[in-house]
Amino acid sequence: MKESISLIEVEKDKEIEIVSIEAGLQATKRLFDLGLTPRTKIKILRKTISGPIEIELRGSKLVLGRGLASKIFIK
Amino acid sequence: MPEKKLNIALAGQANVGKSVTFNYLTGLHQHIGNWPGKTIEKAEGTLYYRGYTINVVDLPGIYSLTTYSAEEIISREYIAKQNPDLIINVVDATRLERNLLFTLQLLEMGKPIVLSLNMVNLLKKRGIVIDTAKLEKILGIPVVPTIATQGKGLTKVLDSGIELIKKEKDAKPIKYGNEVEEKISRLVKKMINLKLNYSPRWLAIKLLEKDNEIEKLIKESDFDLLKEADCLRRELEKIHGHDSSLVIAGERCFLVSQIIAEVFKITESKNKSFNEILDSIICHKIWGYPLMLATLCFIFYIIFSFGGWVSSFLENLTSSWQLIWDQFFGISVFSSLLWSVVESTLALIGIALPYIIPFYLILFLLENFGYLARVAFLMDHFMHKMGIHGKACIPMIMGFGCNVPACLACRIMETEKEKFITGFLTTLIPCSAKTIIVMGLVARFVGINWAFGLYVFLFLLIFILGKITSKVLPGESVELIMEMPDYKRPNLKAILLQTWFRVKDFILIAAPLVILLGVLIKAISLAGWLDVIGSLLSPITVGWLGLPAICGVLLIFGILRKELILVMLASLIGTANFAQILSPVQMIILALVSLLYFPCVATVAAFWYEFGWKKTISVIAVELSLAILLGGLAYRILKIIFI
Repeated sequence: MKESISLIEVEKDKEIEIVSIEAGLQATKRLFDLGLTPRTKIKILRKTISGPIEIELRGSKLVLGRGLASKIFIK
Repeated sequence: MPEKKLNIALAGQANVGKSVTFNYLTGLHQHIGNWPGKTIEKAEGTLYYRGYTINVVDLPGIYSLTTYSAEEIISREYIAKQNPDLIINVVDATRLERNLLFTLQLLEMGKPIVLSLNMVNLLKKRGIVIDTAKLEKILGIPVVPTIATQGKGLTKVLDSGIELIKKEKDAKPIKYGNEVEEKISRLVKKMINLKLNYSPRWLAIKLLEKDNEIEKLIKESDFDLLKEADCLRRELEKIHGHDSSLVIAGERCFLVSQIIAEVFKITESKNKSFNEILDSIICHKIWGYPLMLATLCFIFYIIFSFGGWVSSFLENLTSSWQLIWDQFFGISVFSSLLWSVVESTLALIGIALPYIIPFYLILFLLENFGYLARVAFLMDHFMHKMGIHGKACIPMIMGFGCNVPACLACRIMETEKEKFITGFLTTLIPCSAKTIIVMGLVARFVGINWAFGLYVFLFLLIFILGKITSKVLPGESVELIMEMPDYKRPNLKAILLQTWFRVKDFILIAAPLVILLGVLIKAISLAGWLDVIGSLLSPITVGWLGLPAICGVLLIFGILRKELILVMLASLIGTANFAQILSPVQMIILALVSLLYFPCVATVAAFWYEFGWKKTISVIAVELSLAILLGGLAYRILKIIFI
């Protein structure tokens, strides 16, 4: 079985595909409304040392808190 | 003959140019109020066009029409119950995909809709081509390219809207996948007897999404329908393996990406855009921070040097007014009370004109440019340690100008808990009036280092209090989810309007109370009770805090307006050389207590307005006891240092 990697472990500038989101229902729903769903392709735009990350998805840019980003997984 | 009156609602996500569109359409014929029972701004305006009197409502900027926040409930209830003749959906053409997610939800509500495809002037630069004819065909609604900042295309939006209304053509919803569609139609069939304002299809979708508000609504009239919906939901969940609300949102995303594939072409440019270059400096993981600090310090430096200049100019201008007043009206109780009204008004102008207005002009310039979102990004990690997230920075920075609009700005926080913590900490931020005390007392007579130290201590205290409150209060902390806007050329009109609204808050909420309390204190002083109050307070002020007896009265005045502490001191001792009456230790203690002991009456009013009286009283109680405790301790420690 392949180990899943969370968003914060992905390098900057890499394009990846979301596999699953393991956050609470409210937060997950919010992300879905913003277009962040499994199978969405995103790109990591910017990372901070221990703070949020910035991603590009569906032509717009989104900032996600670190805790939330750690609950979003890719392959 | 048709009625010549129309109702139009503007709907769209945040940062798409909805307010700019609104301002362009309604100009100065607008009325900003609150939505009933909510502290959310409601902008309404009138427009006269082709013989129609059109009432335009700007719905709050939102991400979706599911119940996540109060804004979203307001918007969808407005659409359903007020039944506007037309909805103009403003979208950012450069971010069409994300925006269409919302458009699809609007379509489901089944009203006449025109899509205003805004910011088309930016498409070419980004290498984007949008096939509007095809988009129009897929969505089944008119799509009009617009540039709201220049007003281009907006009359065409209105024209096609009026056309739609004449034809009575409601938008047709886009179809989901077969499994979902089948469940929707099964629910719709059961709704024949249901008499609600919402369209049956929309209700069915919301039931499948397990929307609490809608469930409550339906429970009253048709309980069986809920059971049926529950059953269908479980079927969906069984097939897809996750929550039914996610199934539908996921399908919506899929539909949108299909539409985008048809109409949206992007040719990637090889050169880094201006935006990316700027972000690589401003949001740099190391250099971003000193840059941010330098920017903020520079702003405060500019404001306080400019403010000091304007403020002394105003003082010179009005210094002789009281004499003239007394000569004109004579000295009586009535004329003194009346003078106190003039005095308070002058003082409010004296703080608004030199400090608050320039501060907001610069702040909104930065916001308009896109810098504040970057500050929220940079500060998120730090703010998390206080149990709030990066966006809380914005009200807190506003607090440096005046705490009143800052308290009102706490609305941008998502949950009650975060909103309260941000509001509480904001009341402790040194506003321009508090800064005047620290500068005029400590920096001038004790040394700039001590003033600086006082600030460091205050920020440390704010940090610790944030940490404690976030631990003590119940409720979960929400993570930052924020859209990062592109840098924009600041729009002067928008900046002026935003500044005006903040200043209006200050005038409407702060001014009446400040003037009223001013008269009251004047009356108490005329009755000769001030000294009584002063001596009643002396066990605390003199005994515990080590201040001269006169300070008790000063602190009472300080509740009215913080800077009065200095002004009254100067007038009571007849000189601005405070060293005559206060020792260095006493100056530091007085400044420290002034910073902490009580939010000024205007802030109290704003806090009350935003959070209710229970929270207001508890905040005052905490701050008062902190001021007394810390002031007394500091006095005992500083006494040893200053020997």
